[in-house]
Amino acid sequence: MALEKSTATRRDFLKASVGVGGALGILAFPMGITQAIDAVSADVSRVTQTYPRLRISGISDLAEGQPIDFQYPLQEHNNLLVKLGTPALLGIGPDSDIVAFSYSCAHMGCPLNGMYKSEHNILGPCPCHFSQFDLTKSGILSIGQATQSLPQVLLEVAGSDIFAAGVTGLLYGHWNNLAGGTEISQS
Amino acid sequence: MTNDNTDPISNHLWDHAKSNGLSRRRFLTLMAAGGGAAVLAACAGDPTAVPTLSPTSTAVPSQSPLTGQVPLPPVTAKMVTTACDYCVVGCGYKVYTWPVGMEGGPKASENALGVDYPATVLSGAWVSPNMHNVIQIDGAAHNVVVIADKDTQVVNVGGDHSVRGGTLAQKLYSADKPTKDRLQHPRLRVAGELVDISWEDALSLMADVSRYVIDKYGELAWGMKTFSYNYYENTYAVTKLALAKVQTPCWAPHDKPAAGSDTPGLSDAGINAFSASYEDWKQSEVIYLSGVTLYETKSILFQEWIAKGGAKLIVVNPRRDYTAAFAESRGGLHLQLIPGTDTVLNNAVARVVIENGWEDQEFINSRTVNADELAGETSWRRVMFGMTFDGYKEFLLADDRYTPENAAKITGVPADKIRQAAEMMAKPKAEGTRPGTSLMLEKGNYWGHNYENTASFSGLGLSVGAGGRPGRVMSRGGGHQRGMISAAGYPKDKSPDNYKGNKLELNVDRWAAEGKLRFMWAIGTTWFSAMGASNFLADTIGAIIRDTQPQLSLADAFPGGGSTGPLDVAKVLEVLKARIDNGGMVLAQQDIYTNALTEFADFLLPAAPWGEDDYARMQGERRLRLYSKIMDPPGEAKPDWWIVAQVGKRMGFDGFDWQDSNDVFEEASQRSIGTVHDYAALAELARSQGKRGHELLRELGTTGIQCPIKLENGSLIGTPRLHQDSFGTKSGKAVFPRCDWSNVEPFQKQFAPKGDELWVTNMRTNEHWQSQFDDSRIPYRWERFPANILEINPADARARGIESGDWVEVKNDNVLTQTGGSHSAKFKAVAYVTDQVAAGVTCSYFLFGHGRRDMAANSITPGITDPINNRYRYKLGKGLVESTGESEFKNTMSFAPRNLV
Repeated sequence: MALEKSTATRRDFLKASVGVGGALGILAFPMGITQAIDAVSADVSRVTQTYPRLRISGISDLAEGQPIDFQYPLQEHNNLLVKLGTPALLGIGPDSDIVAFSYSCAHMGCPLNGMYKSEHNILGPCPCHFSQFDLTKSGILSIGQATQSLPQVLLEVAGSDIFAAGVTGLLYGHWNNLAGGTEISQS
Repeated sequence: MTNDNTDPISNHLWDHAKSNGLSRRRFLTLMAAGGGAAVLAACAGDPTAVPTLSPTSTAVPSQSPLTGQVPLPPVTAKMVTTACDYCVVGCGYKVYTWPVGMEGGPKASENALGVDYPATVLSGAWVSPNMHNVIQIDGAAHNVVVIADKDTQVVNVGGDHSVRGGTLAQKLYSADKPTKDRLQHPRLRVAGELVDISWEDALSLMADVSRYVIDKYGELAWGMKTFSYNYYENTYAVTKLALAKVQTPCWAPHDKPAAGSDTPGLSDAGINAFSASYEDWKQSEVIYLSGVTLYETKSILFQEWIAKGGAKLIVVNPRRDYTAAFAESRGGLHLQLIPGTDTVLNNAVARVVIENGWEDQEFINSRTVNADELAGETSWRRVMFGMTFDGYKEFLLADDRYTPENAAKITGVPADKIRQAAEMMAKPKAEGTRPGTSLMLEKGNYWGHNYENTASFSGLGLSVGAGGRPGRVMSRGGGHQRGMISAAGYPKDKSPDNYKGNKLELNVDRWAAEGKLRFMWAIGTTWFSAMGASNFLADTIGAIIRDTQPQLSLADAFPGGGSTGPLDVAKVLEVLKARIDNGGMVLAQQDIYTNALTEFADFLLPAAPWGEDDYARMQGERRLRLYSKIMDPPGEAKPDWWIVAQVGKRMGFDGFDWQDSNDVFEEASQRSIGTVHDYAALAELARSQGKRGHELLRELGTTGIQCPIKLENGSLIGTPRLHQDSFGTKSGKAVFPRCDWSNVEPFQKQFAPKGDELWVTNMRTNEHWQSQFDDSRIPYRWERFPANILEINPADARARGIESGDWVEVKNDNVLTQTGGSHSAKFKAVAYVTDQVAAGVTCSYFLFGHGRRDMAANSITPGITDPINNRYRYKLGKGLVESTGESEFKNTMSFAPRNLV
């Protein structure tokens, strides 16, 4: 995990946002996705972090409706990778149906492992407070109590391989997606 | 941006944008303007991108924050306590504010929550991005975090929260967020447009117009429609003016056409609608839920108390919602009745109880009236409808419509399920003890046939021994919180309305539609859209306001030219008086945002809500807390109590000299005496300690205290449960109110769908529950349902060629109106095909968007009221449903089932 202090001004910051606007707080670079800690004030020093790029699976290794678990962006954080069989927002692969999501409920963090409902493309209900997330729609609550969508792991395809390259939203428990855990080795 | 598509996110976004029909040019424009969030928003139907949404709502970016970090409050952050502004449960929250740039760190010693981050599962310490905002305090940018209190042991134990409360921070005013369209200055309609005027001009004109109307046409020409739930300080001030000073009967709360009890059958039994504590629901073994969407509308009561208590749930609901599915998965029942047939179902379950001798005879003997005690009751409804248990038994057994088999034909609920419900609720166990049974009702019950539905509910509950006992209670679940202390009684003797010669509270909607009002003041309500036959009201009353001449011109208002110069107050008053004398009406609206009512308003007065003053009220188990001020109101917005007081003073009334909200709180304590709100002891203790009432309440934090409150040996003692010793009748014994389907049947036949018509009942959703007034400014809540929806059964959808995501039009050419006629009305919604609703039944949000007349299902709700107490049957609409083509949300909105367990 690259963690570097930057004193870029907001202007420089936006100039650097070649791929995706600064409003996202996520910068895109050819070899990975950088998360800018976009403090509210324009001139405070910034921390720029680059998400690791991690090979998760080969496309052909995925069977529809059968999730694969993986850790990302820190070793402590569990996610599922699944080929839904239905096109999904931010889905990749030939059918735009391969997505990955955090297993930590975006409400109060209870584990969603084992709660994937392939018939409905739903992860949930959470065993604690019953939140359910629609995996075809960027993890929005279909019903429940979470205050943000289930964080989606951004995927990219290189050849026949699937790589994790970033995360949308804040992972449960974290103040920063890349802080407070063990780095994973990049591939 | 260059977008050479070498990075994965922009590739994804472009693919996604293409599949949603965005042009390359539009994509690039959005990326440059707002980045990926803007693209996703456009794809998801953001009103700025696809200009179809509320004209009154601001642009709403349609994704949850995509940020990968959130600032933490430093140890030095200021903390105040509050409770949620929205639903009746009223979870406790802590609010941290600190100057931007002074962020805390992830170690426990570095942040105000005292927690090491990452926070652990269920710690209640995680700050989600939607719990954070940036606001202005004393002219400087401050971070604010509004987070459920992880340390609380009441209500939202351990910091649990709903999607609504968890996004409270987003409702705070911010000039660069969707809340930026908060009303900030008083306005007056001139030449068709609302223009800013000074407070002094607005207040003196309001007072002078009011005085003129009352002096010339009497107080029955001066009306007010106000929130019933808003904080004590505001409701007390409002009722002090309307009921104590003007003494008009033309006063009604926001959700009904007339004042009075919403649950008259419960009142007549002698049971307060909020008599239970949350511990009672937890202790219950069986809970009969009559028209309660529990998970979505009492989320934390469900999660933290009822689900954990493990009661078997009997869910009475035309929809198989999440709560119904949950009940069935855990040994409970779903009684999926035909809309409007609650009375028959309740009576049938009670009849099975009685036929089997399962009634709680000991409770009936000790806690319900005998014939002599009943004869001592004097209120007209108890005299007319009251029964002893023996009378109730005779009444049920004499009417064969209440046998399970016959009831099944009327209600659609299988007879064996009716028997099972009775058995679960009342059959003594093998060892001879009775099941601990409680009953909860809500609008699915009392927004049907109001009197008989609530009366039959009470009879069933009393039969099984529910009421005022631990784990055996009967209560509403609740909608809004309980924030009404009236400064005076309602002047029923002045009302022209009656039922069989008995005075009723005035149906203000009908009165206004008949042209009897000359001045109306709507405070914190959309008025028309919230009422039955809403488009009829808007068209009819709107015409009285806007089409009666004269209307103010620019030359009248600003003789110096332009639209901002000094206002010619005398001329404005002259023109408004002339309109009034021509049979017209002047409308004042007081609110925090514009809504569907605004197009008719002459005056628009900016109010200051939750977080912008210190306020108090109690929630669904009567728990009183202080809702602390967080920031100043934007612009010139003022608390409702202040606005009302200023007008009252200018009308020549005394008693409006309050300096701050605490002054109102302390004065109102005297009117709370003898009611369930009674907090006079708290005000008295505060005085004896040299403190202000609000300050003592602040010390009680998120725990607060359950009203009524007593003072014993210098300590405040709350009341967890009402009716432990007596019910609210003359004798203290409960009364069985008569609940005769014969009174209801003609209406049910009239309202039932004919031919290809479908029932159009209404619902609430988790994301829009007691929060519609600001939902469209809170992106995460709004994006789930960016348009109204119509739930429709797959069979009905197929027959009409409707798919999820299509626009549907719901039309009724025979909407019964308030004034005795009928008219044609329609609304549109996005189809949500689901087996949550049975064939023949559809379900929509009755008051969607607060600003969308075209999406308000209430346009087809019958405008005639229950004759016994002037209540609409909001749940009993019907209409023809047809597809009008794909909506822009078809590929972006989630149409997943909401009842998976």
